[in-house]
Amino acid sequence: MQNTDQHARPIVAAAQGAPTLLVEGLSKSYGSTRALDGVDLRVEAGTILGLLGPNGAGKTSLVSIVAGLRRPDAGRVEVCGIDATRSPHQTRRLIGIAPQETGVYLSLRVRDNLRFFAGLAGLSRAQVGARVDEVATALGLAPLLDRRASQLSGGERRRLHTAIALLHHPALVLLDEPTTGADVVTRRQILDLVRGLADDGSAVVYSTHYLPEIETLNADVAFIDRGRIVARGTTAELVRTHGTSALELTFIDAVPMSARVDGAIVDGTTVRIPGGDPAARAAELLPRLGADARSLTSIEIERPSLESVYLAVTGRRYASDPTEPLSLEVSA
Amino acid sequence: MISLRRLGVILRHELRISMRDPFSLLVLVVFPIITMAFLKPAFRAALQQSGFPHANGAEQVVPGQAVVGAFFIVGVTTFAFFSEFAWMTWDRLRASPATSLEIVLGKAIPRVAMVLAQFVIVLGTGVLLFDLHFSGNALALIPLVIVFSISLVLLGVAVTAICRTLQQANSFAYVGMVLFGAIGGALVPFNVLPRWAKAVAPATPTYWAMRGFHSVILGGDGLGAMAAPIAALGAMSVLFVLISLRRLRFDETKVAWA
Repeated sequence: MQNTDQHARPIVAAAQGAPTLLVEGLSKSYGSTRALDGVDLRVEAGTILGLLGPNGAGKTSLVSIVAGLRRPDAGRVEVCGIDATRSPHQTRRLIGIAPQETGVYLSLRVRDNLRFFAGLAGLSRAQVGARVDEVATALGLAPLLDRRASQLSGGERRRLHTAIALLHHPALVLLDEPTTGADVVTRRQILDLVRGLADDGSAVVYSTHYLPEIETLNADVAFIDRGRIVARGTTAELVRTHGTSALELTFIDAVPMSARVDGAIVDGTTVRIPGGDPAARAAELLPRLGADARSLTSIEIERPSLESVYLAVTGRRYASDPTEPLSLEVSA
Repeated sequence: MISLRRLGVILRHELRISMRDPFSLLVLVVFPIITMAFLKPAFRAALQQSGFPHANGAEQVVPGQAVVGAFFIVGVTTFAFFSEFAWMTWDRLRASPATSLEIVLGKAIPRVAMVLAQFVIVLGTGVLLFDLHFSGNALALIPLVIVFSISLVLLGVAVTAICRTLQQANSFAYVGMVLFGAIGGALVPFNVLPRWAKAVAPATPTYWAMRGFHSVILGGDGLGAMAAPIAALGAMSVLFVLISLRRLRFDETKVAWA
């Protein structure tokens, strides 16, 4: 995005040397459900943090607390060196948030939606017009500025929703599942935009349960699982440290004995054989299946990825519903 | 602390939203004028039997219908909050630098202005089309109407604070309109109400508004007669503010369409 005025640059960290976002020991419970359990995070200016985890892992709770929408039970949140739990009104000027649910004023024009939030964020009348045009252009909304939000498609509304978070070019951008329900074009535009924001100096926390998006962004990663950060590092580091390759075979019925090689992990009708060169293992194993090969429904070669990192650090497959444990059976 | 600049942004935004769907504003004005037209003859007889031999009915029906119509603002105010939940914009608003007070004032002030405009139009129509005369000082009604308008909007905020769903808030607003309108002597002359209704009437804002109107229109009074109604409406406003302060939770999730 082109910077045109002082509000088009990320607001400088209030305390020199302070990270844009610092989270320490953050905990939050809803009744007996522990949503966050001692979360620590540090996000520097100009970086993207992919907050990864299945639905219900605690991503939205974390984002909401950082944005000042929820109060933590314990812990500390600092944005640019300012305590966000004690001075939420000060830190809100530094944060741009696009919550998980698409929230726009449907009866108003796209332009009016953008102008309203730009005004609230503190941009002067003179700055609002230029910044609205700038953000609208970046997200492909420029031809739609005079259209009512109710007349937009789902993807267009999602882009407007995201654009609102960026109007004051905040130091910290919180995008909670920004591509949920988005079409391919919208998804690509949002990912491009996120890269651009980091290049311009903003810190971006990108919460998602779509692992490939984070791999595409090549972002730093924090895996959150049941309210805890279970792995943290760059995509490359995590994949190098925890990622494994695997061969995965799925059968119509139970996994036959011929496929239960040493180290194989059986999960219902699927057998996963981790490690080594999966293509070579497939070439070796398939002939040994003999007649059992007729009940094969799929053969998958899995290269080291964030999905395999998640499996390695949690012992569970990456699934949208974390409450469904997979019953894994390891062959002797 | 209130930022007047941010408050101005919210005020303009609320007016813009209201102008995009002006139906509720039209109801505020059109409903009382229509009902005035066919209720006036009935009230002529009622007022004449109540000791006002020269009354033409407008003395009751014009302020009465204006007061009942103004009650629509309670529902309009609650909707201004609940629609944020329907549009999923409430959290966006809360995450902005706007303070809670700025958000509430930004929603309340335009609604007070709407009720004031409604009174000007409806009372003006009463004078021009329904032969309404003021035997006292009409200007004395200005503070009364302002305080009454504020109390209704604050009631709307309090109803929002208490109710979790839009259905609850709507029921409260519309049942309140009919009930308070009847007991307070706006729908029917106060004199014809049963004794129990007369006893509880002072607990309604409608009663005090109608008492003020009657003082000026029928009683020939001036500003002095407004003291008691204004004090009572002011006390009710304070009560509604206290309820709102105690019950309005900005992090509460409200249900807009169920």
